[in-house]
Formats: sequence, C-alpha cells, structure tokens
Amino acid sequence: MASLALPSSREEAWRWSDLSALPALAEARPSGAIPAPDVLWIGDGPRLLFVDGVYDPSRSNPGPVEIGPADARAARHPLGRLAGTRGWRLRIGAEHMPSGTIEIVHLGSGGASHLAAEIEIGEDAQASIVESFAGAGWANRATGITLARSGRLMLMRRILGAAGGFTSLADTAEIGTGASLIATTLAAGAGDSRIDAHLTLAGEEAFAEAGGALLARGQQRHDAALVLRHAEPHGQSRQVWRAVADDQATASVAARVEVARDAQKTDAEQSLRGVLLQRTATINAKPELEIFADDVKCAHGCAVGELDRGALFYLNSRGIPPAPARALLTRAFVADALARIGEEAVREVFVADADNWLSNSPFVSSEVETRPSTSLGTNGRD
Amino acid sequence: MLQITNLHAEVDGKPILKGLDLAIGAGEVHAIMGPNGAGKSTLAYTLGGRPGYEVTEGSVTFTTPFVPSEVEGRAASDAQRVSTSLDTNGVGEALQTTGGEVAVDLLALAPHERAAAGLFLGFQYPVEIPGVSNVQFLREALNAQRAVRGEPPLSGGDFLKRARAQADALGLAPDMLKRPVNVGFSGGEKKRNEMVQMGIIDPRLAILDETDSGLDIDALRHVGHGINSIMRRPDKAVLLITHYQRLLDYVKPDFVHVLAGGRIVRSGGPELALELEREGYVGVAA
Ligand SMILES: Nc1ncnc2c1ncn2[C@@H]1O[C@H](COP(=O)(O)OP(=O)(O)OP(=O)(O)O)[C@@H](O)[C@H]1O
Ligand SMILES: [Mg+2]
Repeated sequence: MASLALPSSREEAWRWSDLSALPALAEARPSGAIPAPDVLWIGDGPRLLFVDGVYDPSRSNPGPVEIGPADARAARHPLGRLAGTRGWRLRIGAEHMPSGTIEIVHLGSGGASHLAAEIEIGEDAQASIVESFAGAGWANRATGITLARSGRLMLMRRILGAAGGFTSLADTAEIGTGASLIATTLAAGAGDSRIDAHLTLAGEEAFAEAGGALLARGQQRHDAALVLRHAEPHGQSRQVWRAVADDQATASVAARVEVARDAQKTDAEQSLRGVLLQRTATINAKPELEIFADDVKCAHGCAVGELDRGALFYLNSRGIPPAPARALLTRAFVADALARIGEEAVREVFVADADNWLSNSPFVSSEVETRPSTSLGTNGRD
Repeated sequence: MLQITNLHAEVDGKPILKGLDLAIGAGEVHAIMGPNGAGKSTLAYTLGGRPGYEVTEGSVTFTTPFVPSEVEGRAASDAQRVSTSLDTNGVGEALQTTGGEVAVDLLALAPHERAAAGLFLGFQYPVEIPGVSNVQFLREALNAQRAVRGEPPLSGGDFLKRARAQADALGLAPDMLKRPVNVGFSGGEKKRNEMVQMGIIDPRLAILDETDSGLDIDALRHVGHGINSIMRRPDKAVLLITHYQRLLDYVKPDFVHVLAGGRIVRSGGPELALELEREGYVGVAA
C-alpha cells in the first residue's frame, strides 16, 4: 500500500485511539502461522473461515452466505474505506428457513487483512451471526447492514487477537420499520481494537441495541465510538457498555444518541460504566445526547470507579483470595453487557472468553498450524 | 483459642481500640456488649483484617488446626515471636500447642488466610454483591479455603446438598441461594444468610456482630439454634456482639464482657447481661 492515510489523534473522534502500530502492520507480511480454529467454533450451523482475509472453502460451510463483492457503505470512514469491496454477503428473506447461527472466524498470521461485508435482512426475516477474531496482525473489517420491515439481526463479535495486533470494525446500519438490531461486542484478547458503529433507526418503531465489554490490561487500548441516530418516531435504543482497565491500559467508549426533529416518542437509554483495576489505567466514557425532537425519553448513566472495597473485603473474609475476588466482582460487572446475547450457547462462550481474560489467560490456541505461505498472496492488498 | 493482648487499633488515623485484652478458650461462648460507638464492630473488623483498620500495638494469637499450608512457615515463626513477647508478660502458657494445633499470629495473616485458618466474621451490615449468586460465591469461598488447607474441592452436587441443608436449617428459602449475594434481601434475610454461610463454611471461631439485630421472633429462634448447632462444640468458640439479652436466651454465654471506650471494662458470667439490661451501661461500666 503506497500510503496509509490514517486519522490523527488530534481529531475529536480519534483522540483516544492509538493507530501508531498500523503502518508497520500494513507493510508486514503474514507469517502463515495461525491458531487452530477448532476451539473457536460454537455450534454446527453455517460456518466460514477466513485466514488473513482469504476465504478457506475447505474448512467452511457457508450456508446462505456468499463470497464476492460486498458494499459495506464505509467510503467515508477512514479505516472502513480501506476494507475495500471484496468479502462476504448475506441476503436473507423471510422465505429462507432460519439457518441457525452463522459463525465467521477470522484468523490472522500477521500483516494486514481487509474485508468488507454486506448484510441484508429482508422483511420479517431474521439472522444471527457470530464473528470471532483471533491470531496476529491487523484485521480491518467494514460491514454494511440493512434491515427491512420487521427484520431481526443479532450480531455478536468476540475480539481475541494476539498482543501487538489490531482489530478494527466499522459498521453502518439502516434499521427499518419495526426492525431490530442487537449488536454485542466483546474485546477480551491481548491486542488493541477500534469499534465504530453508525446505526440509523430509519423506520418507525425500530429497535437498536449496541453494547459490549472492553477488557484491557498491559498497554492495551480499546476504543468504541458509536452513533445511534433516531430518524423516525417511536424508536427504541439501548447501549450498555462495560469497560475494565488494568495496568497502563486504556478503554474508551464514546456513545452518541441523535434524535432527529421527526423522531418523537423516542426512548433511548445509555449505560456506560467502567472499572479501573489499578489507578494507572484509564477509562474514558463519553455519553452524548443531541436531541431535536421535544417528546422523547433519553436516560443515560455513566460511572467510572474502582471495585467496591466493602464487597472485596466481604469476599476475602469468606476465604476468597484477592485475585479471584477481584475476578469474581469484575465478572459480575461485565455480565450485564453480555446478558443481551439471546442464545445461551453463544452467551456462555462469551462469558468464558471474559473469564479467561480475567484469569489472565486470554485466548491463545495451544496448537499453531503453519500453512504454506504461497496460499497467502491475495489478501486484498493488491 | 483466641488471645487478644493490649490491642490498639486506629480507623482512618483515629484511635478506637485502646488496649483491649480478651482470652477465648475452646468450647466457650463469649458475649460482648457495649454502648454505640464503643468499638465493637471495630474489634470484629480488626480481627477480620479489614483494610483501613490499623493495629498500632498489641497482639492476637489464634490457635487452630487449620494452618494454611502456604503460611505454615510464617505461622510457626510468628508463633515463636509471639511466644517470646508473651513470655515476658508472663502469660506464655497460653501458647502451648497440642493435638496438631498451632498458635498463629492472626494479625500477620491476610483476611482470606484468617478465614482459611478457621475465623468467620458475621457482618453487622452484610454486603450486597450484584451479579454474583450466593451459590457461586459460597462454593468459591469454601473451595478456596479447602485449597489453602490442602483439601480437595467439593463437587457442585455435594456443595449444593450442603448449602440446601443449611438454608433449610435456618429457614432461608432455597431459591435465595440462587439470588445475587444479599441483593434485595430484607435485613433479617441478610442475617439468616450470614448464618447459612457460617453453616456451610463450618469455622472454628465465629465473631458475630449484631447477628440478632433486625430479626423477627422466629428468625431469632432459627438463628439462635443455628449458632448452637453449628458452633456449640468443644473444639469451637463464639464471640457474640449484641445489644440484647434475647439472643443470649438462645445462645447461653459462658462469659459476658462490657466494651466501652475501646477496652473491656468489665467481665462476668451470664448474669452480667441481665444486670446490664436492668441498669444500663452507666452504672456498670463506670
Ligand atoms: N472510618 C472511620 N473514621 C473515623 N471514625 C470511625 C470510622 N469508622 C468508625 N469510626 C468510629 O469508631 C467508633 C467505633 O465504631 P464501631 O462501629 O466499632 O462501634 P460499635 O461499638 O460497633 O457501635 P454500634 O453499637 O453502634 O454498632 C465510632 O465512634 C465510629 O464513629
Ligand atoms: Mg457495631
């Protein structure tokens, strides 16, 4: 890539991100060594494996998902636009039988991989997608989502990338009349992340939920920037974010709710909370409301603090040592944000990922498989 | 079992305990009474090792068979250290250890190690912990203690059996075990829950801070019987902190002490509690 134009941290929307590792990652070559994907699959529905951004048909069963050009509608997003127009597409109508949760695993072996995705949920149709990100390097993804009348989408992401890596997601969604999007993101790896979402409640009585948990230690940085725009009346939105930061890490959430003049009877709720496991860590939480309608209900809560000392002593006094006591309280703190995952099997996996992080053993596959580097030539950078 | 000598403790730099002496032997039940603000809860928290409760002088020796394996070395040398200092006070015989029991310097242990050594603190104000279920909390607590003592963890099934039996004995609805720790519990339910925890953990020494406050008549009876059945044994001891005689009707104390101004100002038998109830602290503690 000739020149990588990245936003500067002087820009308001990027001031908590540290993108300084990206130029080197963009230049680096994938090593070909990836973690074994087996432990990342949850169910036995459709599944797709991408290695360094390249689809691996031999280990996939794509079901209704097509591989090919995709319009992620991210042209104006500084990272999303780099994702290009090649990737996967899901177009699903009510006539399709529900196919079970679609699982997409993205493994990286180093360097940068870019991929676009397009999700179109037709009238009364529904889908549920889990995306898992693991391994090394920079995984950059842009996803364009459209929900027609009464369509429903559950979109769950787990970011488990290795130290020194970066995962960037840029979502754009149009949510139609009576349609519902529930997006949950868990960052529980050892790498950094940037999560962008611009969700528009474009029809009456649309519902959007964007939430998740960001867990950071060491020098890690997670940064989520969300805009939920209520364009039509009677929309409902929920944002529940939980951030945990230890050591010198930084976790940030900027969440904006915009209510357009026509969007009367909007009901929007935000809950941004953070726990600092050490005082050297940083949590930024910035709730924003921009309201142009007059008959709306917008509630927001925002709190950053330390674990409750009284509760810690209570646990200690019953014999639980300090480290597990802190993990128990942190786990409970994070649970709110993962509770919205409807499917129990998926929720349990996300909770287990968070537990692994809390017990200081984020996802590291025991096996590492090496693939011949010749198969890695086309990862979208040509 | 517990030997407190000349204990001085500060909370946020403010001296609260000012030279407290107390000896509790195995098989005994002691009651501490005293005016509000006397330092009773401070004593309980100091013995439990709550951060912020700083001991500035004195010693506390706990004789227990449950010496946490990871602190064994420390415990032995601490015991020796205490032994020397006590010898000079002429009460060295308190340190004689028999039957695999060891005298440990309680103040040198971290709070969770004190628990594993057999100390249980019943809180005057039990803490609410949203998002952590009672069962999860107690199983983790019990197994952490067992691990420190070198015992194998209890399986989920065995643990549940034990937990249900205790809840039943104390009249706590079994579904309360699944609820988050103390969240939305009434005052009395919280206190019952403390006793259920004590039953599950099965400690050597229980320090119960106003466990009887806020209990209705039935709950008081349940809790009284609970304390007796869990703790009334020759190898165990109880320190009850209370304002009222009514708990002592169920759990008969061997000794009653008056704590005022950060010290034990008077000690006696069960009759002292009745005297206090009749005459108040003014006459007795003066
Ligand atoms: N953090 C603190 N800073 C300063 N003083 C404190 C602090 N905590 C407790 N105290 C004081 O210590 C004294 C003893 O308090 P403690 O709670 O031990 O009393 P108590 O005997 O248990 O009283 P009660 O019968 O009301 O429960 C009180 O005067 C109280 O105000
Ligand atoms: Mg008190």
